Amino acid sequence: MSAQRFLDDIKAGDELPALIKCASRAQLFLFSAATLNPHRIHYDIDYAREEGHPDLLVHGPLQGAWLHQFVRDWVGPAGRIQELSWQNRSSAFPESDLTFRGRVTEIDGGDVLLEVWEEDEG
Amino acid sequence: MDSLIPAESMQLVGERLSEPIAATIHTEDAQRFALATDDRNPIYFDEAAARKAGYRTLPVPPTLLAWALAPPRPLDDLRVDGLFHAAGRRIPLNVDRVMAAGEEWEFLAPIYVEDRITAETRLHSLEEKVGRSGPFVVQIAETRFTNQDGELVALQRAGGIAR
Repeated sequence: MSAQRFLDDIKAGDELPALIKCASRAQLFLFSAATLNPHRIHYDIDYAREEGHPDLLVHGPLQGAWLHQFVRDWVGPAGRIQELSWQNRSSAFPESDLTFRGRVTEIDGGDVLLEVWEEDEG
Repeated sequence: MDSLIPAESMQLVGERLSEPIAATIHTEDAQRFALATDDRNPIYFDEAAARKAGYRTLPVPPTLLAWALAPPRPLDDLRVDGLFHAAGRRIPLNVDRVMAAGEEWEFLAPIYVEDRITAETRLHSLEEKVGRSGPFVVQIAETRFTNQDGELVALQRAGGIAR
């Protein structure tokens, strides 16, 4: 899997290699199932439209899990994520590329602060 | 203009929103979540890889905690949108809908497969703000997750925007 990254390897301003995710509709269903989440906007297209959405929505927590995966795979196996925060800015849709990006903002002793974000194709 | 937050709701800040809930996170649950997120990191599947990475055994993808403890609920409890009615205390607000705003997590210790995790959720804050489309409420719930040894393993603050 990912190689171990060390403090000597990085400096503030470094960019993380981008990670691209694209959820199929079946993946949305499997994430709903794995999280026991019956929210209809993730599998019932007619209902999603009734709520004014153009398509099914990708779960916020799925994108949160991807952010965690993105950072953890960059850090490497011996690294630990101590804190992770995200804000939901707009809707994400299936069958559309979602790109995770990030950069090192600060290195404080053994702690590394990153800014990470997610972009859609728009 | 009347506040969107009734005084009775402000009094709930700091209060527990429901009784603590507990569940065992099984290996299959952790791996099903990892695979559903297309995360094939060997630490979740291969005991040797997990140990090599410094874990005692297979760790659990930590944001699964937000879901893994949901107790079984009857279909009668479903709302029109497919979500279950809130199980615990209701927070009365003069609003029509609530959207997830984001999450803040602190991961304090590894969570391992077959750990028995207890979650306790409190209302962390309620704040009324004014945006371009009018007033709204930012509601933050804090959940503390402890393992079978009483060790605090994670803390989540989940924000909702109600308008």
